Amino acid sequence: MADLTDGEVLALAKASNITIPDDLVTEVRESLNGLLEALEAIEEPDVSEIQPLPIIVSATARVASSPSP
Amino acid sequence: MADNNLCYLSATELGEKIASGEISSVEATEAYLERIAQLDGNYASYITVTAERAREDARRADAEIASGNRRGPLHGVPVAVKDQFDTAGILTTNGSTILGENIPDTDATIMTRLKEAGTVLLGKLNMSEYASGDAFRHPYGRPRNPWDTRRNPGTSSSGSGAATAAFLCATSLGEDTGGSIRGPAAFCGLVGIRPTLGLVSRHGVFGASWSMDTAGPISRTVTDCAHTLAAIAGHDPNDPQTWDVPVPDYAAALDGDIRGLKLGIVTERVHTDANDPEIREAVIAATQVLSGLGAEVSDVSLPLIVNSSEISYAIISSDAAMLNWDIISTGRLRELDHNNQVRLLMGSVIPATAHQKAMRLREALRQQIVAALEEVDALIMPASSVPATLIPESTGLGTKAEVIAGFKGRRGFTAPFNLANLPALSINCGFTASGLPIGLQIAGRAFDETTLFRLAYAYEQATDWGERRPPGV
Repeated sequence: MADLTDGEVLALAKASNITIPDDLVTEVRESLNGLLEALEAIEEPDVSEIQPLPIIVSATARVASSPSP
Repeated sequence: MADNNLCYLSATELGEKIASGEISSVEATEAYLERIAQLDGNYASYITVTAERAREDARRADAEIASGNRRGPLHGVPVAVKDQFDTAGILTTNGSTILGENIPDTDATIMTRLKEAGTVLLGKLNMSEYASGDAFRHPYGRPRNPWDTRRNPGTSSSGSGAATAAFLCATSLGEDTGGSIRGPAAFCGLVGIRPTLGLVSRHGVFGASWSMDTAGPISRTVTDCAHTLAAIAGHDPNDPQTWDVPVPDYAAALDGDIRGLKLGIVTERVHTDANDPEIREAVIAATQVLSGLGAEVSDVSLPLIVNSSEISYAIISSDAAMLNWDIISTGRLRELDHNNQVRLLMGSVIPATAHQKAMRLREALRQQIVAALEEVDALIMPASSVPATLIPESTGLGTKAEVIAGFKGRRGFTAPFNLANLPALSINCGFTASGLPIGLQIAGRAFDETTLFRLAYAYEQATDWGERRPPGV
């Protein structure tokens, strides 16, 4: 994926109803591009079938039921 | 003049001496208040010292104990807490000038529980602004590591680490969203535990990430840490995420016997160049000690753990932005630390596709960790890839390349267990050649803090690392 430009970052900000001060645009862009590239690079495992649950409660309960020795 | 030697007792020893009448809570409290006044200028660990409140708490504790009403092991013991927790009638800043005049009307649930345990509140501890490890500016003074004051005591519970290591409180509370308890514990040679999400109430705790925030203790000994966690843990109707499960008597399980416990060495975090060689050697040596005590040690592989930093950063940055939307949207953003401004803005514009991928990867990582914990009782790895870092001289999150390189750093050693919502503990397992503490991390199953304490206690009793004090302390 190509890096986002300043203009594209500002467009994302406008869509989010926020203003990025001029002196911070470059740093926000660099930080966001770094994060997106790092996430993009993670290829394994195939996560398409995994539900992105925000809070993991029921699954932790399964582990909690395992008694300590 | 107060007896300064009282401050060198563990919280547990101090509580026992107060209970027996050998010393009073008032004496112990005066000793700590005097020590804070004399030494905290070196460490900037406190934002607010609550001297009169502490004296009042101590007098009440002495009276209750004298009348035969001892509340528990921490009754009369002086403690301090991160300034992220609401305290009724006491300034609560969350490390920021934005909240420089914030005096809550009510206590956080964990503060109520500390009060019910009979503790004495010495004050509110310094921290990274809004519990963000990226913050550079510290408006209430730059916290410094007692082992080397040129260095960071760990973030974001920096004051909790510094004050506990410098014997400026008997035990403390921090909060851990991505490593903010275990980081300071590792950097300052202490014992800190991030509990299972849902064991400790978040009510009245300033949030950094809905699904990862956990308050917990930072202490000088395992027993102190166990007592402190027991004091604050348990279901709270005000926090729907807490579980209505019994809180074990953690300290009662500390008998030093760990024979037969199965430990998994996380190969991607131990046998790797991603950590400092001195850290790697100390952690391997610690596993040999545990093996010698009867634990069964084997290697386990968690492939996704190497990506936990970027996964965590995507989720926490987005959560933090939404939690602080009022600051971003009302023009107060510029009052924040520079790095926090950038991070919150970045978190506000992360595309949904990237956020959803991070959430899916989080679940995939959690499944890897849970599967490993069906084969072993606990996982072992460093709490940090490096010892305490030098205090940075300039602000800024860096270029894209620097941001990516940063994901390979120490955040990726603590974040996995926040992502998985599982408990993880750091205990000191030695020192670098330059005298900096090294943290051994032990992680386990949900709500099985007892096993972590058992392992840490056995290790603590078999080694003498805890006898060292920071220079000049």
